[in-house]
Amino acid sequence: MNVIATLAQLQKITYAFHSLPGEVWEAFAVGWQPYSAKRKTIITAAGDTEKYLYFVAEGVQRAFYLTEEKEATLVFSYPYSFSGVLDSFLLQKPSNYYLEALTQSHFLRTTYAHVDALMRQYHEFETFIRKALSVTIAGVLERQIELQCFSAEEKFRTLLKRSPHVLQLIPHKYLASYLGLDATTFSKLLGSVRL
Amino acid sequence: MPTFNSNQLIDDLQQQTESFLNEAVRHWQMLPPAIMLHKEAPEKWSAAQCLMHLNSYGGYYLPAIATAVDGALNKRWLSTTNFKSSWFGNFFTELMLPKDAAGTVKKMKAPKNRTPLLNDNSDAAIATFIDQQERTLQLLEKARCIDLRKAKTAISISKLIKLPVGDTFRFLIAHNYRHVLQARRAILLITDKSNTILTPR
Repeated sequence: MNVIATLAQLQKITYAFHSLPGEVWEAFAVGWQPYSAKRKTIITAAGDTEKYLYFVAEGVQRAFYLTEEKEATLVFSYPYSFSGVLDSFLLQKPSNYYLEALTQSHFLRTTYAHVDALMRQYHEFETFIRKALSVTIAGVLERQIELQCFSAEEKFRTLLKRSPHVLQLIPHKYLASYLGLDATTFSKLLGSVRL
Repeated sequence: MPTFNSNQLIDDLQQQTESFLNEAVRHWQMLPPAIMLHKEAPEKWSAAQCLMHLNSYGGYYLPAIATAVDGALNKRWLSTTNFKSSWFGNFFTELMLPKDAAGTVKKMKAPKNRTPLLNDNSDAAIATFIDQQERTLQLLEKARCIDLRKAKTAISISKLIKLPVGDTFRFLIAHNYRHVLQARRAILLITDKSNTILTPR
């Protein structure tokens, strides 16, 4: 992973939410450290409190909720975007779910202490966090609508429209789980978009 | 018998397993069933049948390995710098591996209970294959902590022959490689021949 190039991507994504004054960006940028996770390793376990905010440089990750009988895929992350168990991170409370690497993954990550200090120190930084969270909440609620109101086919088509690349990147069982579809239904829908 | 640096051996086996996974995720799961199920001749296996055959072995070996690794952890049989292969383990692994760069293998007949009878539901075969490869990666990672020679599993055809778990991994992954190559050939045969035979389902 090229740290400088990844930091440039981090700046681009950050500024898309809110442009920071140079001084604030520099204070934000110094906190990030490289981190890697192999395929199918747990990055954050249920019951642990998320200590880090991640920025994905390479690879795909997923957050999933696990019970004795069932496993539900909540969200995927891939380059270049933020990752981590966001609610546990912000509230500093134990996570209800897991975050795992679905492929070999490389990140930059920074700590809660760092982010928290910047929020207290810089109003502009807090504005960035507020705007980023606003977009995130809008995304979560939109997905809630899709899960509750869309047909299997509509869910499948929406996923393909939003993230067409995931079909060749992520094992289909996880995509089916993300959409709340069984494997057979997913296969049928896939048949309509294969060659 | 060959001796391996234990960590290096696990790195190599993980890397091979990664490459099977990449092929399955990027390529196979996107192919129409007509290609995955194509049989070049009645006695030849389709790509999906190659995977079903591997899944059948994985169904035996992965739980056996998991038990052996957990047992070793409980008994504190902790990792050693080097792993020395056993005679049987090395013999079976070598038997599976291609003899040359072209991928020529020693032909063998699969035991009856490991011969796929059906040739349907290629998506399920790929999904199980991916599951098992992911499981293999996790077990390899866990096995970094244990003595790969002391922990043992029985082989699938005889309870009497036990392999050190380091060799069970080597054998299993060499066997995977053998049939991944076979699946690849089965796919190439049909995709090379013509693209017009393919009908969307």
